[in-house]
Amino acid sequence: MNRERNLMPLVTVFVALLLTLLPLPDALEGWRPYWVAMVVIYWHLESHQLGSLGAGFAIGLTLDVTTGALLGQHALSLVIINFLVGRFRNRIRFFPPWQQAMAIGALLFNDRIVQLWIVGLLQLGWPGWSWWLPPLIGMALWPWLFLLLDALRWRRRRPQ
Amino acid sequence: MSGASSMPGIAGTARLMFYSLLAVSLMALDYRGQYLERFRTIATDLTEPLLLAVDLPAAGVEHIAGLLHQRSEAQQRIQALEHDLARSQAKLGLLNDLVEENRRFRGLLETTERVETRHISAEIGAVDLDPFAHRLMLRRGSRDKVWVGMPVVDAAGVLGQVDQVGYLSSRIVLITDPDHALPVQVLPGGERTIAYGSGAPDRLRLNDLPMNTAIEAGDLVVTSGIGGRFPPGLPVARIETVSRDPGQLFAQALAVPLAEMGRNRIVLLLEAVVSDPDASDSAGPDEESDEAIDIEQATIDKALQDGIEDEAG
Repeated sequence: MNRERNLMPLVTVFVALLLTLLPLPDALEGWRPYWVAMVVIYWHLESHQLGSLGAGFAIGLTLDVTTGALLGQHALSLVIINFLVGRFRNRIRFFPPWQQAMAIGALLFNDRIVQLWIVGLLQLGWPGWSWWLPPLIGMALWPWLFLLLDALRWRRRRPQ
Repeated sequence: MSGASSMPGIAGTARLMFYSLLAVSLMALDYRGQYLERFRTIATDLTEPLLLAVDLPAAGVEHIAGLLHQRSEAQQRIQALEHDLARSQAKLGLLNDLVEENRRFRGLLETTERVETRHISAEIGAVDLDPFAHRLMLRRGSRDKVWVGMPVVDAAGVLGQVDQVGYLSSRIVLITDPDHALPVQVLPGGERTIAYGSGAPDRLRLNDLPMNTAIEAGDLVVTSGIGGRFPPGLPVARIETVSRDPGQLFAQALAVPLAEMGRNRIVLLLEAVVSDPDASDSAGPDEESDEAIDIEQATIDKALQDGIEDEAG
């Protein structure tokens, strides 16, 4: 039982990774939320799993390798997210999901700034306004993702 | 359950610093050089099945869409393609004649044999990985004898070159990638220069043109063959604007690539084959010297570029 529950976060992160890689039409490409970060945040908030900085680093590195991004870009982003969630965990948990969405939005927005800094260092140029879309989409999707993952977690626990 | 991740103040911050530093140095290593090249190759091989799996639904949808096409529509398409084929075949007949003629002229001029190309057709995997890097995945890999550096073209022009090769797939870097530079020649004048990727999906930059350049909007940009990687004469782009900023040392031009970036499904990978085994001996050193010239030119350009930047700064 215990092992099953420990496997669940990894499975959901893997699905998030697939969603990140899923080809989308060009028009929707900019709207893709930061799935992996959202799933990691959920597990960190709700069950302390995947919450360590090391776990964030490892997942981020996997993401870098699969998306062909600069090695370490998403690793840094997830380490920072995990650190911030660790700091404000109790305060964020206090709210129901739809109010949590604001905090999550702020986290994802902050992450966008971190990644923009990396993009700036690489001198890749200003990415355009669509750069700021994913945090908004992530914010809008958070309550639903939260309910979905909650359902998954509790379904696992019930047979006990 | 709590323990490590409750992260008390100073220890937590120290860990954050440690991991951030690790990530930043990784990025620096990855950006700066080829230190991680080997790791990248292994990682690409490991993640290849994942990418192919993710691409399956898209391929499936396309297949079903193909099945749903009306019969009449398909027939119309076949007819159109047959017309195209007939027209191309007629043109090809003329071209073959020209090739023969060209060979004779070259023989008279005692120049080396022109390099002939073989090609592999490849399908683009729909996966678009990083919005900044202009890269595409092809469903051809080392199994199909694809190797790093092969030029990639579509029906209209040059698309890019192969960057990483896995067993079943490979990644190509497009000519519009900011990291890509392509030795080109601008027709009809024949000026040689280098076309850099601009980062925008539909523009190339020609940076180091002399102020009195004869290049005009509408001129055709083709590969010059210098460097030996791309065969000469492949159409690349059409000049859109030429700007002569009095504050700069060089005139600059923007060009629109002719290839349909990211919109086509089938591309060709070119494989340079020297047509005559006897000529290959003489072509060998020649190509090498070409490469040397290219490198030399690249360093000169780089030096000039740095000079300009110094002056600007």
